[in-house]
Amino acid sequence: MRRQPDMNQPCCEVPIRRKFWDSDFAPWLVDAALSWLLIAVEPLAFADSSVADSWWSLQPLQTRKLPAVENTAWPRTPVDRFILAKLQEQNLAPAPEADKSTLLRRVTFDLTGLPPTPEELQGFLADPSAGAYEKVVDRLLNNPRYGERWARHWLDVVHYADTHGHDQDRPRTNSWPYRDYVVRAFNEDKPYAHFVEEQLAGDVLYPGDPNGVIATGFIATGPWDESSQMHIMADTVDKKIAQNLDRDDIVTTAMSTFVSSTVHCARCHDHKFDPISQREYYGLQAVFAGVDRTDRPFDWDAQIHRERQMLLKTKTAIEVRRMSLANTRLDAEIEEALAAGQAAWEARIGEAAPIWTVLDPESFTSRSGATIAKQPDLSLLVSGTKPEIDSCTIVARPGLSEITAIRLEVLPDDSLPQKGPGRQDNGNFHLSEFQVKAGSLSEPGKLAVIELRNATADFNQKDWEIAKAVDGKTNTAWGIHPEVGKSHVAVFECKQRLNLASGERLTFVLEQLHGRSHLLGRFRLSVTAAPWPVRADPLPENIARIAGLARGDRTKEEQEQLTAHYQTISPELQRLLDEIDEKLAKLPKPNLVYAAAHDFKPQGKFTPAKVPRPIYVLGRGEVTRPGQPVLPGTISCVAGLPSSLEIENLNDEASRRAALAKWITDPRNGLTWRSIVNRVWHYHFGRGIVDTPNDFGRMGSGPTHPELLDWLAIFFRDRGGSLKKLHRLLVTSAVYRQSSQHDPKFAKIDSDNRFLWRMNRSRLDAESLRDAILCITGKLDLKMGGHPVKQFHFEDPDPGVTPKVDYGRFDVDSPESYRRSVYRWIFRTLPDPFMEAMDCPDSSLLAPTRNSSVTALQALAMLNNRFIVRQSEHFAERLRRSRDGLVGQIELAYELAFGRRPTAQEAKELAGYAQRHDLPNACRLILNSSEFAFVN
Amino acid sequence: MNSDPPFSRSASPQTRSRRREEAHLEKSEIRNPKSEINQSLVTSAATKEGFLREPPRLAIPASRRDFLWRVGGGLGGIALAHLLGEQGLLADSTPTRPRPDFDGGLHHRAKVKRVIQLFMNGGASQCDTFDYKPELIKRSGEKFDSGLTATATGVPGNLMKSPWEWKQHGQCGRWVSSVFPNIAARVDDLAFLMAMASKTNVHGPGVYLQNTGFVMPGFPCLGAWISYALGSLSENLPAFVVIPDSRGLPYNSTGSFASSFLPVLHQGLVIKPSAPNPIADLHPPETAKFVTKASEEEGLALLTKMNLEHAAQWPGDSRLEARIASYELAARMQLSAPEALDLSGETETTRELYGLDEKVTEDFGRNCLVARRLLERGVRFVQVWSGTAGATGNWDNHSDVGKELEFIARRTDKPAAGLVKDLKARGLLKDTLVIWTTEFGRMPFSQGSKGRDHNGGTFVTWLAGAGIKPGVTYGESDAVSFKAAANRTYCYDLHATILHLLGIDHEKLTFRHNGTDRRLTDVHGRVIKEILIGS
Repeated sequence: MRRQPDMNQPCCEVPIRRKFWDSDFAPWLVDAALSWLLIAVEPLAFADSSVADSWWSLQPLQTRKLPAVENTAWPRTPVDRFILAKLQEQNLAPAPEADKSTLLRRVTFDLTGLPPTPEELQGFLADPSAGAYEKVVDRLLNNPRYGERWARHWLDVVHYADTHGHDQDRPRTNSWPYRDYVVRAFNEDKPYAHFVEEQLAGDVLYPGDPNGVIATGFIATGPWDESSQMHIMADTVDKKIAQNLDRDDIVTTAMSTFVSSTVHCARCHDHKFDPISQREYYGLQAVFAGVDRTDRPFDWDAQIHRERQMLLKTKTAIEVRRMSLANTRLDAEIEEALAAGQAAWEARIGEAAPIWTVLDPESFTSRSGATIAKQPDLSLLVSGTKPEIDSCTIVARPGLSEITAIRLEVLPDDSLPQKGPGRQDNGNFHLSEFQVKAGSLSEPGKLAVIELRNATADFNQKDWEIAKAVDGKTNTAWGIHPEVGKSHVAVFECKQRLNLASGERLTFVLEQLHGRSHLLGRFRLSVTAAPWPVRADPLPENIARIAGLARGDRTKEEQEQLTAHYQTISPELQRLLDEIDEKLAKLPKPNLVYAAAHDFKPQGKFTPAKVPRPIYVLGRGEVTRPGQPVLPGTISCVAGLPSSLEIENLNDEASRRAALAKWITDPRNGLTWRSIVNRVWHYHFGRGIVDTPNDFGRMGSGPTHPELLDWLAIFFRDRGGSLKKLHRLLVTSAVYRQSSQHDPKFAKIDSDNRFLWRMNRSRLDAESLRDAILCITGKLDLKMGGHPVKQFHFEDPDPGVTPKVDYGRFDVDSPESYRRSVYRWIFRTLPDPFMEAMDCPDSSLLAPTRNSSVTALQALAMLNNRFIVRQSEHFAERLRRSRDGLVGQIELAYELAFGRRPTAQEAKELAGYAQRHDLPNACRLILNSSEFAFVN
Repeated sequence: MNSDPPFSRSASPQTRSRRREEAHLEKSEIRNPKSEINQSLVTSAATKEGFLREPPRLAIPASRRDFLWRVGGGLGGIALAHLLGEQGLLADSTPTRPRPDFDGGLHHRAKVKRVIQLFMNGGASQCDTFDYKPELIKRSGEKFDSGLTATATGVPGNLMKSPWEWKQHGQCGRWVSSVFPNIAARVDDLAFLMAMASKTNVHGPGVYLQNTGFVMPGFPCLGAWISYALGSLSENLPAFVVIPDSRGLPYNSTGSFASSFLPVLHQGLVIKPSAPNPIADLHPPETAKFVTKASEEEGLALLTKMNLEHAAQWPGDSRLEARIASYELAARMQLSAPEALDLSGETETTRELYGLDEKVTEDFGRNCLVARRLLERGVRFVQVWSGTAGATGNWDNHSDVGKELEFIARRTDKPAAGLVKDLKARGLLKDTLVIWTTEFGRMPFSQGSKGRDHNGGTFVTWLAGAGIKPGVTYGESDAVSFKAAANRTYCYDLHATILHLLGIDHEKLTFRHNGTDRRLTDVHGRVIKEILIGS
């Protein structure tokens, strides 16, 4: 039989030959190529490919001297010296300073994503002081709009959205606290190292701070394959692919965002261009091997936050211990109790099995009217009418004064199809829910529900396990197919020892709601007072053998195996978990953030790792070809930094993330500090010093001003990683204040303006455009944060499919419409067509830069989108409210939209048009004009 | 492997990346024209377009990029190239633009000018439609050792034959079940890939894979790549149009039509022919009473004037001219798009052919007919979807194949067959490619009592039209249609073949993104020459 086709996604195309052809590459490539060939034959025939590399971005940051320049009058900041030196070298010269109104519009859009108001413009023009511009810059940096604007940049880089992005693309309702965290971080000028560390491992590095948990929303921002994770069976190839690609997204996002490295190119083979081995790539996957993406609780009250996180941590530790997944140390007291419990248990194993008392049913009824007959062995045999579904109620004397567990036997009988024990044609049954109540028969309304747990059965049909008979869900059940025609047994422990007075009765309800007559045919109930644990599943053969040996005859390993098994059933640990659950239940309801989590309540077939999953180097990136196992690690090519991560306890997944975070924020990590200053430069100047902000490798561009980049990186790092200081430095520089006027002479030398002989003009991005329109029409609502606003008509009738999202039916005058765009609900597979037309990037994609395209659909959207059309009317209304007379109104429109007064001719023409076709039409033209769309 | 050297031999990665960016007008500033404007070239480019004509054939100097630089300062030069989506190819130093001597192909002679793809969303069952297996009929009801303990959403049941009858059809003797009577009548026009396989058994990833070559979101789809490579044949319509099932979008919603890292220009324009507004924002909303015909005419003229004045102040920024041109193109689209969607001129015979006269086939039939009209008017690639996301109303027949497949198959059978017949009658099939496909197949054994679960192991795709050998089959599944057994093909091979027919070498069509030269076919793909004429 053929296997399923391999199910993986190698990522990129570069024939091996090309490397040999390409003489541009450093000699290490030959090594890499050879390694690659080896790996193609036998995965991991080689070890770590740590090779010294002279590539610029991998070198330590170097302190740079300010270059000497001839024109000493021009530079305002050290930045300008570097720029001017390069301009001189190229026979270029800087452009004159832009006029004040241009400058104000530029810096206001740049720092806040909004246009300046006419009042702000008047104020600035009227301020003749030398520091007038710097005052404006400080005002803008202290404006909360700054955080909103720059958070949006960050959300581009990390591909943030409010849905999962795959298949049915269901809403992700709790991602927004991360978005708000980013806004706050920018506004508070959080030191960059802290910002990075929080996002990768805030939960472990800053345990007392709710922001530490919220920030790990970073790890979860990307798309998530809900259908594979939630609905596909565990251990299938499809499931493993989903988990592998999930980690790939996390690694790619983290390394692209923080260190501008394309490590993801090494998923299927060693990186073809940069010195990154496939093994290093999987080392990074191992860093995140313990986390999934899901909702995670946090509390704004620091004390409650600490308490809850501590309880959750302990709970996981106990559960991990219980699953014998890892040897977590617990408190000494617990360890003692555990040891004592185990000793008692071991002593009992040799003894006879628990004594069961069979119950003698007093009454037994079928809701559907099937016939139930008591048999001599006190079992109940069902016959007669055979409905689709049924529910049986049995009442019996308790039989014992103290009960610790209940047993349900399902028995074969010749009268049943396939001899039963079920009544379905195939002999199966589905027990949807098994409920036990206790109390006096005279007060049927006061029956107490007995809580059951640790349900076990001697056999479980796949996906129809016994636990599903006590999970409170009627659409899941216990079944025994294909093991029909024989008896089976299920045992349920009572959560608390049950003491019943005489006269009290036990009532059992057996719900069988699956349909198609999956009904019980013959069954019997018993109780016991044996000490916990009481289980139906037999001891595994190996454990039974060890238990049969005298303690002194067991080897150390055997004793450990026995201990491990006991931990899975220890009532001591169970009690601790109960206590924790009680404490947790008493805490106020937590807030939730969609973030990285290693423990959570299973959802469908999506279950937590609890401890890191094993990671292997995958041959050709295919999950069906696992090679050697790998430990968490990082790339080795950064000069001056260790390649290994120091991790104390490999079972503690959070410490893996913490180690990577510390490696990234190491002051010696040149990639990190260069990466962030380059991003900031990119947003201020329209292009980075390296114009591939996510790729500082050989496939990216080199820096135009390498010395400046290093100087800025050191400036930034050594001033506490303050982004606001960096912004201030850049926007007060002479290079930033230049006019964007064209010069054909210089264009011939540097058509690209890579050396910045003038300022670059930029088209407003989608969010700035939308927000600016709301701003000038007076409709902008500056409320910050909170749930994302749906700027579409929304219906969600079926939680199994994509919600109905209709942008065409959205009320563009609803309050949601007036919020800043950063607060929009971002639907990955149903993006806002208007925003998309304006180059708002695909939110499934890491977007370090934005396109600025020009298309006919963009023109149509600007002309006809209902938002634009309606805002044209609001704009007109505002103008009419503020000024009398069309000319005055047009003048105000120009001031608001363009930050200048119209010429007499312009005013006359537009006023004439407004006269003939009404003011909203004139306003619509202004919104459609290039002057509005561009920032000079 | 590939016999042609990759272009990197002639340019370093850095140079290439820079060129690519130059080409896209995407960065904050576009470079300045290198020399004077050649207005005559521009005019010839702008006026040559028409019904089923070649893409603008410009008097091309040594390289396309140089040419655009030269005309860059003029209204309509870069602007037009940009708007028509041709600029993508400037990326390479090799002359990879549609070449007249290649019949519009990039790397070799094109046989196909336009493509229509019918996508059956949900996983169309191969073993109930085209994959006839006597063994499956014989062993129906028997246990089958699939080696699987679990399928995607359930557990394997016993082998289950199709509830439909099978018959051989046409000269080629192709077996087709009675669920597709009309397609059965056209088998002599079709070539079948009988053993396609998917790398996943899950809808979301599966639909992504068949469209983009990757199981995760974030990659451009086939249509976007074609738009990027060839641009539109029309000045008034985009290169890539998607017509979803009118009841709703497929799995991944619009994610499968995305241009992703390619410029947004190349993403699929969603047209909903039966909706009150088939194209979003094509016209002002009716609520906007202040907008009149007169205000639009005068307004557009005034806007152009304002924008020209602005552009004059900022020489060297060609985006401003492109912007003016984009409003002109928008105005033309306002006229041409409704005409393309207006079926009133179609004859009764044609309407019947597509099943517009019957309720059950009306919807898919109208979408196919609109698709034909769009192709006629210069759209390169139209994708017509059947089936929405969700548990029912698509090809995802988990609980009762008999009922569920009947429902969706009947909606599409007559229109799909009618489309092939119509294209043939009009002579369009000579340079048009038709593809019928899905994201994966279904299991030959039962799920529950009468359903079938997902099966990436084998499924069927058929093609018709230019360059395709009619009546052939390629590939074979095993005895019961569980897995591909011989000549297995993947989406990569299908994509490579489609691009090949369009005159594109799938290994040479690349785009640099986040450090990787991305391809539609990733590191895979083989042109399936066995189904092609003359190769």
